[in-house]
Amino acid sequence: MPTSIGGLLSRNKRFVPLAVTIVMLLLAYGFGAYHYAAMREPQVFFNLFRNYPFLLISAVGMTFVIISGGIDLSVSGVVALTTVVVAALLRAGWDAWAVIGFVLAMGTLYGALMGSFITYLKVQPFIATLAGMWIARGMCFFISDDAIPIRDRTFRILARTKILIPGLADPDTKTGAFVSFLVVAAIVVLLVAIYVAHYTRFGRTVYALGGNERSAQLMGLPVQRTKVLVYTISGFCSALAGVTLSISVMSGHGLYASNFEMDVIASVVMGGAPLSGGTGYVFGTLLGVLVNIVIQSIIQFNGQLSSWWTKIVIGALTLMFIGVQSYMLTRKGRAKQRTAARADRSILMRRRRKQVVTIAAAAAVLLVAVRGVNRWVRQATGGGVEAVAVQGEACQDPPLRTLGLTVPTSDGAPVIVFERNGGPRCVGEVFTVFADGRVVADDGKEVREERSTPAEVAQVLAEIDGLGWFSDELYDTWHTRCRECYGYAVTVASQGRVKQVKGVDGGTDAPARYWDAVKAIHGLVRKEKER
Amino acid sequence: MADGQTDVLVMKGIAKGFPGVQALEGVDFTLRSHEIHALVGENGAGKSTLMKVLTGVERPDAGTIALAGRTVAPRSTQQAQALGISTVYQEVNLCPNLTVAENVLLGHEPHRRGKIDWRAVHARARELLLRLNVDVDVTLPLDTYPVAIQQMVAIVRALEIGSAKVLILDEPTSSLDAAETAQLFQAMRTIRAQGTGIVFITHFLDQVYEISDRITVLRNGALVGTYETRALPRLELVAKMIGRSLTELDEMAKTKLETARGIKPETTVSARALGKSGAIAPFDLELHAGEVVGLAGLLGSGRTELASVLFGSEAPDQGTLAVGGAPVEDHSPLASIQRGVALCPEDRKSQGIVDELTIRENIALALQASRGWFRYLTVEQQYELAEKYIELLNIVTPSPDQLVKNLSGGNQQKVILARWLATHPRLLILDEPTRGIDIGAKAEIQKLVLSLAEEGMSCMFISSELEEVMRTSHRIVVLRDREKVSEFSGEVQEQELMQAMAGSAR
Amino acid sequence: MSPAGNPRHRKLTESRLLFPVLALALILVFDFFYVPGFFTITNRDGNLYGNLIDILRNGSAVMLLAIGMTFVIATGGVDLSVGAVMAIAASVAAVMMNPVILGTSIGTDIEKFVTDPSFTYSPLWEVILVTLAVSTLCGLWNGLLIAYGRIQAIMATLILMIAGRGIAQLITNGVRIQIFYEPFAYIGNGWLVLPFSLYIVAAVFALAWVLTRRTAIGLFIESVGINATSSYFSGINEKRIKVLAYAFSGFCAGVAGLVASSNIRTSDANNLGWGYELDAILAVAIGGTLTTGGRFSLAASLVGALVMQATTTSILAIGVPAFAVQAIKGFVVVLVLLLYSEQLRALLRKLTSQWGA
Repeated sequence: MPTSIGGLLSRNKRFVPLAVTIVMLLLAYGFGAYHYAAMREPQVFFNLFRNYPFLLISAVGMTFVIISGGIDLSVSGVVALTTVVVAALLRAGWDAWAVIGFVLAMGTLYGALMGSFITYLKVQPFIATLAGMWIARGMCFFISDDAIPIRDRTFRILARTKILIPGLADPDTKTGAFVSFLVVAAIVVLLVAIYVAHYTRFGRTVYALGGNERSAQLMGLPVQRTKVLVYTISGFCSALAGVTLSISVMSGHGLYASNFEMDVIASVVMGGAPLSGGTGYVFGTLLGVLVNIVIQSIIQFNGQLSSWWTKIVIGALTLMFIGVQSYMLTRKGRAKQRTAARADRSILMRRRRKQVVTIAAAAAVLLVAVRGVNRWVRQATGGGVEAVAVQGEACQDPPLRTLGLTVPTSDGAPVIVFERNGGPRCVGEVFTVFADGRVVADDGKEVREERSTPAEVAQVLAEIDGLGWFSDELYDTWHTRCRECYGYAVTVASQGRVKQVKGVDGGTDAPARYWDAVKAIHGLVRKEKER
Repeated sequence: MADGQTDVLVMKGIAKGFPGVQALEGVDFTLRSHEIHALVGENGAGKSTLMKVLTGVERPDAGTIALAGRTVAPRSTQQAQALGISTVYQEVNLCPNLTVAENVLLGHEPHRRGKIDWRAVHARARELLLRLNVDVDVTLPLDTYPVAIQQMVAIVRALEIGSAKVLILDEPTSSLDAAETAQLFQAMRTIRAQGTGIVFITHFLDQVYEISDRITVLRNGALVGTYETRALPRLELVAKMIGRSLTELDEMAKTKLETARGIKPETTVSARALGKSGAIAPFDLELHAGEVVGLAGLLGSGRTELASVLFGSEAPDQGTLAVGGAPVEDHSPLASIQRGVALCPEDRKSQGIVDELTIRENIALALQASRGWFRYLTVEQQYELAEKYIELLNIVTPSPDQLVKNLSGGNQQKVILARWLATHPRLLILDEPTRGIDIGAKAEIQKLVLSLAEEGMSCMFISSELEEVMRTSHRIVVLRDREKVSEFSGEVQEQELMQAMAGSAR
Repeated sequence: MSPAGNPRHRKLTESRLLFPVLALALILVFDFFYVPGFFTITNRDGNLYGNLIDILRNGSAVMLLAIGMTFVIATGGVDLSVGAVMAIAASVAAVMMNPVILGTSIGTDIEKFVTDPSFTYSPLWEVILVTLAVSTLCGLWNGLLIAYGRIQAIMATLILMIAGRGIAQLITNGVRIQIFYEPFAYIGNGWLVLPFSLYIVAAVFALAWVLTRRTAIGLFIESVGINATSSYFSGINEKRIKVLAYAFSGFCAGVAGLVASSNIRTSDANNLGWGYELDAILAVAIGGTLTTGGRFSLAASLVGALVMQATTTSILAIGVPAFAVQAIKGFVVVLVLLLYSEQLRALLRKLTSQWGA
């Protein structure tokens, strides 16, 4: 008879992955709150949620699939397709609620279709859902190439509704901490999912399916029907997430949610549900999503680490979780394989140790290699000067002097103000170009003046205008100081319009034509920099 | 029959054939209520096929099944379960990640107000387990508990979900220790008292005598007989399982084992106190060049484990092993092959052949493995090798490019043999090389083993057919219950052997 | 009988080639009827151009990936990280040739850099060597996790797929580095009667062929993929074979990354190789290698890659807009899966046997 101690340990063992997630979440949040005062504000905490209800909803659907032992890579495609269909139908004049109902049905059907493929045609889940993702995303572009804005009134109400947090807000003045309606919707979905997972026969069948499909079949459970249903649920959740997203950004585009499925899977795995299926708590997924969000926020707040660190950190954390889960599963898996009287403990321990060492080593290698690469790259670009990003230190960059400049200053009305701000080795250089061809270069220490021709200046202006400088196509992609990349602030005045666009040097997320404009300006000022 | 006992299950004239082998022929089997009925037989006797027919996994070619007087013909395990026939297998087909209580009631959980009433689930599961004297926390996951408890859970589920007319226990004690077995038996007695008929499939003869009321013996797909346990002496049981009658044994003269004609004094392999806990107790063994050592023992006595430990496919954890005089440090199949030790595994299909590869590739495989990645046997060389052995072993095939999966069992076995012969081993261990093979091929293989010995190879011949072992060996080692118990050479009486295998002369 | 032995060996692979070649032929026939001028090949200065040549050229990257992926799938696994490894390789190469572009000050070199096509910070051979070493290392990492860490292939390679793009962007600091170095650009853009990348594909194919058919590695991979237990008893070290397979897949991804980035003269960490992993997996599937592992044919995988590329090119040639390609390829996947699925094959067998009876 198992003793109470054994029972206690065993009971805890089940919750270990969940506990690890909680600890990580607390650590991450604590780290962030300690270093960045802004994170301590409760509203910031709730704002975290604001941007991510669609991640949570989709992750809940994915949790069912993963617990059943499968995987659904189509979520990003379905989300994108949903946003596009919603925007297109609203534009065509449909009623908001009818649209929502329609896309939910569409997502559900799509999920059922993929589920049938996987169950009855025995296609491997990741191939089938990957194909599903392609088709869904491709369909977006059949509907529209560009983003479709949403102007529907119902959607706008849904987007702007603030739900005040009791205790942290003042209902009379309608200020204080709040969450958006979408977050509440996400929480509702979460609660329903928890109910289904733990209080319905369907939910238990999903767990059984993931634990041992053959046994579940022999025990008389409706295995095939359940398999199709989990993918159907995932399709529904993806569609719902898409609706949420379209409300958040008030538009629909086929390019939305790219690489989203990775985020979702990482969240579920970090919430303690192993990809091999059979165990995991829906509540854990909520925590996993939170960890994901907090880490992304920390990296954003830090500003020194590039956003790609997010992907790497998430990848390493996911690996760590998979390692933990693998470790725990080995014990059970190997013990069952033995038909001899006892599983040989010493060999088991040795195997497990080898496995854990390998995984830990791999994760360590990954992180060390990445830091090493980082350092090497920094050396190469610094021309020999060591420039190591120190985490948490105060920002060393001088701020952009022309930040927020809306009207070019001084007489003679400059037409272009071009500021390049570099890292610790570079002082911000500001080039002010005037219509008469004068170019004033100011690097904070000295001021030089050169001459170009008015014709050249006019030509560059025309070129920049032709690139759509003053349209919506060019927008800021540089938000925080102290990123490793260097900031540009370019202000152009032409025919009564003034616009400043900020960007990161070479940043890949900047609108492409931005760089064409910068190149054109370079042509104008480069001569000045030449020695 | 005792009062109140009925024939709950009557199977008559069951026959089932597969391509190449007749698994069952005219088998009758009756199970009474309130009875524990042991079903015994060596490998290939047909026990599992008979149970598969009963549980709907296989359809019989002939024969009838009557359950509580009504003729039934189950077509699936679900149907069989609905009829009241439940099975608990050795691998405990439950979901280890779910709790004990869940496993008991999965798919049949009581509901209250639209959701699963967990309190009721836990209470009912606990109650059912307590009836069998199993006192565990039913809210913990199933895999926190050892196999013994998991089996109990499976039994409880089988009885609860089905209507508990017939309960089949397939090798339930293989993974249990003495205390757990005792607990299981106690539970079985309780179940028996409640009226269920239990079919107890096992190869542990001690247990058969401890718990069962009647015994049915199968051999080579046919029914040998059904007996009252009290009335059947142990030695007679073993004799029936192996295929001899008691009188035959008494009358049989001593058989002379093959004379050791070409046995050289040099030791090819020497094992001292070599063992692996849980698999095979430490044993001493010496094998000489030119000698065939037969390994005899009942199912589960540890023959395959001994072979595995010698070959290195299972690493021993105590004792020493020397091959050709040199001590062995690393135990792995590759190292053994390179040292000249070869093992032809027991399960041809899953451990021997690579079915989608051709004969040529299968034959060349081990030799190539011993040469490593880069010392490639060219395709011409592989063909030469294959053709040589096709002729030598008389493998029936139109060409060496035939896929091995298309060959008959006997020819497949020859291909595997060829693979090992190609490595020119010093010691060749053959584990059940003639199982599932026709008579002609059997004789060929036996003759081959002897001729290999004559050429100087050491051979170890493992088989559950006693007469085969006797015909082919110079020396016989007997195992029982994972332990080497005796060695025989020179003249040997079959009865002696069987006594050693069975453990007593009851 | 031995001389006759070789043709018999070839017949085995021929049957594996049949289906993919048939599929390719079908697509080409379709093109013949529906796309005027599809088959025209023009000869300019001794170099050949045309739609067919385009298929070969644009499909080079996927062909390379398919070669590596064949190894992996034959052992019973899969490598989802090949696209990310392509990006990493491209980033490493670009940074080696051009580290200053990340610099803060526009140095004097920039003039020379942009205008002189033979200027590079590291010699070409060094760039190629280091890049391939890095990509092979990535593959090795995957292999170790899967063989020794006993993590499922999908999970392990998924990690690198997620983290790899981040690493690639880290290397280039997010900059889409432009490559001006001509000899490097030749890899993807050069022409030697046929596009130069084709010769690279041929070279890698030859290497792979030698590795698998002139050493025991091919036999062992097949054996491990079909029955790992029997292979174990025969003395084959399953772990080492698997590590080799993934390392080689990483190597191929590195070559593919070089070709692809040289093609567009940029290292685009975000988009390079995006979606190529599924293309490669499908190419191998069309080539007849089962996802459960076992028998494989490198040539058939190449043809499978060509089938995928021919589909894309044909779709574009008949005027379907670029964005629709993704959706249509998705449908092609579904079709292929249907055709190869056991259910359909069993159905066909039943039907044909009824007719024959």
